[in-house]
Amino acid sequence: MSDDARWLSAVWMSDDPAEKADVTQAIDAVLDRDRAEADRERRTRIRSLVALALLLPVVLWAAAHGVTPLVRGAYALMAVGVAVIGTAEWLYLEWSKQALPGPVDARSQLQKTAFMLTRQARLVTTSAIWASPAFIGAALIGAWLYRERTHAEAIAVWTITAAGWLAMGLGTMAVGARLTRRREQLEQLLAELE
Amino acid sequence: MNITIWEPSNCAQAQSRALSDDTLVRNRPSRQTTCSVTAELDDKGQFADLMAAYAAPIRRLCATYAESPADREDLFQDIFLAVWRALPGFRRQASVRTWLYRIAHNVALTRRTRDRHRQSRESPLDQETAAPTEMDFRRLALKRAIAAMAPGDRTLTLLWLEGLSATEIEDVTGIRAATVAVRLSRIRKRLHPIEVSR
Repeated sequence: MSDDARWLSAVWMSDDPAEKADVTQAIDAVLDRDRAEADRERRTRIRSLVALALLLPVVLWAAAHGVTPLVRGAYALMAVGVAVIGTAEWLYLEWSKQALPGPVDARSQLQKTAFMLTRQARLVTTSAIWASPAFIGAALIGAWLYRERTHAEAIAVWTITAAGWLAMGLGTMAVGARLTRRREQLEQLLAELE
Repeated sequence: MNITIWEPSNCAQAQSRALSDDTLVRNRPSRQTTCSVTAELDDKGQFADLMAAYAAPIRRLCATYAESPADREDLFQDIFLAVWRALPGFRRQASVRTWLYRIAHNVALTRRTRDRHRQSRESPLDQETAAPTEMDFRRLALKRAIAAMAPGDRTLTLLWLEGLSATEIEDVTGIRAATVAVRLSRIRKRLHPIEVSR
């Protein structure tokens, strides 16, 4: 470093903000956040597991003991849909974890995070397709109700199913768009860095 | 659980000590101690050492990446949270300093893309000491110049001002040392008005 550069560095380092803050408090704050985030993640996973553990056996039982082949087929499709949704959620969380900043160089980090965001965006924007077995199964239950029970019940089931499917599709499209925007910003950042 | 650590893992002591990077690296092999404490306590000791030694440079980094004091504190915690989580995977062959700066800049750069929509109207760089000295004015000018840079240039400038060599900067950013040198010389020209003001 030349004298001028040393002087600039000295100006920069003359700011010692650490003196203004208590390190012990900062450590506690970081460790508290770590615990809180770990708890939140654990709670999310437990909730998903409990939902799957409660839903899957019921749907599988219905698929095995349904009154007609149509009902059994419908519940079997719903079971497949629920399993796919569970797997997709697990994948999404794993990719989110992998995208977190770590001790690699900035270029590799930005590339990795952008790659993970691409994967996540693709996963969420196609959710209406891969989750379709669950909704088609529900719609088939509606078809059985239409044939065997009342039209009103069938229409209610179809309406709820269509609304759920549409809401999921729109919600995940919005999430996908947000992830894509982030990826584009990261790529722009990568270009600026290079 | 028996584990080997490089410092006595007395957290209270460790937290009160501000160790330089060199001290951290040099002391490790010579002061190895076998302790029968939990791995977590050991990690906490190392973490406290790291935080005590690097709080100042990381806070300086946060001041250029985050707008408001609250955002700066958030970023500071995000960085050390990432450090805490990466600590078990830290390989002793690597330099502590470049390892930590890698994490810090990665957190700061990736966080930018999440925070772009939330722009604060606060002017954080104006929040300096009550009775500013000549040095404070220069530092403020430098901070403003850095904050106005593109993220890539800002990263290189911050690392350079913290005293990292071109090779170390290559280690942190992944940009070739030769390119780093060229870009830094261009940045130095832009910072020249601050240099000549002394």
